[in-house]
Amino acid sequence: MKRKWRDFPMAVGMLAPSAVILGVFVVYPLVRAIQLGHLRCDATGKRCREGGWGQYLDVFRSNEFQHALANTTRLALMTVPIGLALGIGLAVLADKQIRGIGFFRTVFSSTIATSVAVASLVWFVLLQPEVGVLPDLFHGIIPSLKQPGLLRDPGTALPAVALSSIWASLGFTFIVMTAALQGIPRELYESAFVDGAGGWMRFTNVTLPMLGPTILFTLVVLTTRAFQAYGEVALLTGGGPDPERPTQSVAYLIYGQNSLVKNDIGLKSTAAVLLFFVLLVLAFVQFRGLDKRVHYGN
Amino acid sequence: MAIRTGATRTGTGATEISHGARKVGRYALLIFLAFLVLFPIYATLMQALKSGPDAIDHPKSLLPINFTLDTLRSAWRIGDLGRLMLNSVLVAVVVTVGVIITSLLAAYAFAFLTFPGKGVIFVLFLATLLVPAELTVVVNQRTIDSLGWINSYQGLIVPLLATTFGTFLIRQVFLTVPKELREAAALDGVGHFRFLGEIAMPLCRPTLGALALFTFLGTWNQYLWPQAIITDDAHRTIQIGLERLKTGDIDKFNLVTAGLVIAALPIFVVLVAFQRQLVRGLTAGAVKG
Amino acid sequence: MKRLALVSVAALLAACGSGDSIITAGREPTVVTRPPPVTLAPGETLPVGETLPPADTTIAPTTTAALLDTLPDCPTDALAGATGTVELTFWHGMQGPNGAELQRQTDAYNAAQSKVRVTLIEGSYEQTIDKYLQAGQGSRPDLVQMPEYMVQTMVDSQSVVPVEACINAGDFDTGEFLPTGLGAYATQGVQWSMPFNISNPVLFYNKRMFAEAGLDPEKPPASLDELRAASQAIVESGAARYGLALDSGFDSGGGWYIEQWFAKAGEFYADNQNGRTARATQVLYNNEVGRSLLGFMQTMINDGLAVNVGDNSTSGFDNLLKLVDGAEPAAMTIATSASIGPVISILGGGQFPQITNADVGVGVMPGPDGKPGALVGGASLWVVDSGDDVRTAAAWDFITYLTSAQQQSEWSAATGYVPVRTDALTLDPLQTTLATDPRFKVPYDQLLSSPDAPTSVGPIVGPLREVRTVTAQGVAAIFGGADVASTLAAAVEQSNALIADYNSRNG
Repeated sequence: MKRKWRDFPMAVGMLAPSAVILGVFVVYPLVRAIQLGHLRCDATGKRCREGGWGQYLDVFRSNEFQHALANTTRLALMTVPIGLALGIGLAVLADKQIRGIGFFRTVFSSTIATSVAVASLVWFVLLQPEVGVLPDLFHGIIPSLKQPGLLRDPGTALPAVALSSIWASLGFTFIVMTAALQGIPRELYESAFVDGAGGWMRFTNVTLPMLGPTILFTLVVLTTRAFQAYGEVALLTGGGPDPERPTQSVAYLIYGQNSLVKNDIGLKSTAAVLLFFVLLVLAFVQFRGLDKRVHYGN
Repeated sequence: MAIRTGATRTGTGATEISHGARKVGRYALLIFLAFLVLFPIYATLMQALKSGPDAIDHPKSLLPINFTLDTLRSAWRIGDLGRLMLNSVLVAVVVTVGVIITSLLAAYAFAFLTFPGKGVIFVLFLATLLVPAELTVVVNQRTIDSLGWINSYQGLIVPLLATTFGTFLIRQVFLTVPKELREAAALDGVGHFRFLGEIAMPLCRPTLGALALFTFLGTWNQYLWPQAIITDDAHRTIQIGLERLKTGDIDKFNLVTAGLVIAALPIFVVLVAFQRQLVRGLTAGAVKG
Repeated sequence: MKRLALVSVAALLAACGSGDSIITAGREPTVVTRPPPVTLAPGETLPVGETLPPADTTIAPTTTAALLDTLPDCPTDALAGATGTVELTFWHGMQGPNGAELQRQTDAYNAAQSKVRVTLIEGSYEQTIDKYLQAGQGSRPDLVQMPEYMVQTMVDSQSVVPVEACINAGDFDTGEFLPTGLGAYATQGVQWSMPFNISNPVLFYNKRMFAEAGLDPEKPPASLDELRAASQAIVESGAARYGLALDSGFDSGGGWYIEQWFAKAGEFYADNQNGRTARATQVLYNNEVGRSLLGFMQTMINDGLAVNVGDNSTSGFDNLLKLVDGAEPAAMTIATSASIGPVISILGGGQFPQITNADVGVGVMPGPDGKPGALVGGASLWVVDSGDDVRTAAAWDFITYLTSAQQQSEWSAATGYVPVRTDALTLDPLQTTLATDPRFKVPYDQLLSSPDAPTSVGPIVGPLREVRTVTAQGVAAIFGGADVASTLAAAVEQSNALIADYNSRNG
């Protein structure tokens, strides 16, 4: 009994800095937002009235939230599989000890140096219809680069945002995959080779299964990123183009400059808490559904 | 980058010719892909090296028509990029140091101390990882306001000073330290802080390096949070400051490109220099989680 | 089994849309529905035996004096009794060169006297609004600049000292101020804030292309019919690919211009006389004027005479860029007068083959039937209620400086904003600027040509920013070919729901 409490004061002291910060800036906001989420408030957030807990269901079912959720899901369906495939492909391609491979690896991991803001602005400038590089180069082949412009065309705006986002995460995916590839014991390839497996067979029978845990991890990270998309939307499209607003993400619905809820801290909280639950469910489903199929090498 | 050494395989079945053709093919593919990945950055750089009117009239020219550093210079001046970078560096460095300290302390408590409710508290700590910034910003904005920290470095720094990710990483390393080592040290009268500083910390130096780099990058790249609490020039960070170049003058459209080049360059250099730590940081979750 | 579960979850999600807007979430508020106040048009008389119903006691203009009395005071003489320097913060939305000019004037103010020292905090309008609304009383600034669409929300925030209290207390002479400028920031009979930077939409056009098309470069189109005729001449002659570049941005072609066009047409945009006699409850733009206006724009696009550059949300000047587009330029566009200075100074170097400084023409915003006039856009200065008489008086002192004739002359010459007072025009540098380049005078003349009518004062609507957002979506749909009447009806319905929701939360 005494032994159990011996370290207690020291533990409190050591945990306090983290606990206070996490408590004030993570736990409290979570609890407070859940509570605010059943209120409707005036513009300054000082006077609120009960909206009832049904407000969560109302917001979830509202046109705007459903629309934003569908857009965000579409974005994830574009960025996650393509991003993963490109990352794995590049990593496998560069996983050879040939002359100059260091250079290629540096190039392929380089986009990790770009933040969301930098990557989005790079693509914004590249795609600008009047003065951008890509429209100027290719408008003969793809006229919509110039008129109306990829980011202003309701059909291509979301794929264009996805392109920027895939490019921006490529460095990350590449690095993670490269490191995981290097952890695969060479003997596995060699015995597969002896068994007469061709390149593709070796890839599907050895590489992919061995990458399993890393793929799962990357899948969750990329999906979470897609569902949190805010900066790229703010900088590339502003949620537009009107009227379809195909790039309006959930985070942009809450915080964007055209947000209909931003001057009501109650409704804003409702939507933010819902986004949190969506992310929780997604992470849960991904781990639950895929964990069993993933091979963890010890 | 943790580049593997040796382990080269020599193809046994392939003939000399098809081997050579394959090699050329692989290089061609690598070069083509490298070109695709680099193109956006390259085009941005070329735009930044043109004068404003040249950039508008000849966007597709992939070499500067009349090479000039004027655009970079005026982006630096108009965007006040020096100030923005300084703010970003200051915030990122302080947060990094802070996170390392808070993580070391908390990890030590979880790994070496005995106290009631440890398991529950650890799970609670881990659970905070699930809460996204997109949720907490709503309330944190008000908290920062009531602390009087709108437009301040404290506002940018304090909420980021602790992460469970760091605590978790370091605890994993600490757990590999044999319990007897700590007990023996205790018998010798070595206090917790001395043990932490002289024995435990050196053991996790590689992990600390990765955590530092990771935290630095994460803080440097913050977008939503600074945008939520900063409006004045004095505290704006580079990520939210760049956008202002976009709303500048029409003829200086490529100021944005210049700003991008300036903003991305230092990080690129840091990354090339610290690739090993980065790989470790990024893969820690995958391998150990 | 698992697949079945997945399918049913998907089906559940697909079926869960309610078809309602997010703003209707939460329990219905208990709203006291008031009948709209009946007012008499000038010259109208009541039928014998009838009386007007009692006006709403809190908001009718007849109770002006009472309303002002309930608001915070502005003891302007408190500054004289202050000891030491009063430190003020001023949140504003002037960025780029305009921000630099404001800084210069503020520095001059700080240097010229030692009673008050003003510190500027710059952000975009949107950022300033967000920060202001979220700030508690302790962290608000002493002065804030707010765009014209924020009037009702600022009033409802119960956080300001109306400048009318300062005007009265200090016997401040507003005789030289443009009445429309003051009127834009007055409602319920109270002058709430001081106009500072006034802008309105004007037509930018390429004179060289006009000449090539056989049009008179000195006579830009003033009516919509002339706009169409000029576009036709330009496209048919091959002078440019398009006549007009249109945008559907919320603070330009999709929202703000609609309000401007309604004013030009002599129509109210919102009920209760644009929300000036009582809180607005609905927007009125789905009427004959609105339908014919947007039908006109749609036809222009369908006929290839105009090009839609989109919602303009990411750069803010996509429509102006269309004038310098090398491949498919437009000859005209409508943009805020605040762009006159920047556009002219940029093209001054003559680096663009399509258009040089001398080629840029500025004309009035073409309106229905060529009727003149414009609404006040831009922003105004608000005194924030700090509860401290000295700070209030100091804030007012700085406002009187910024809106003085000399400062307005310098401000207007540097930025292109319309000066808020007439005597600024007779002082240098503005006098010289206007004399040497009459283009700068277009927005001023346009504003002053507004008829003296209640429709010449713009709408005050609680969620005007959001109303513009949904209106802009409707306009974008119409530009894209959607049916005008039903699209406008839907946009009005959404706008009215926004207003009802706002009023129920902020009333």
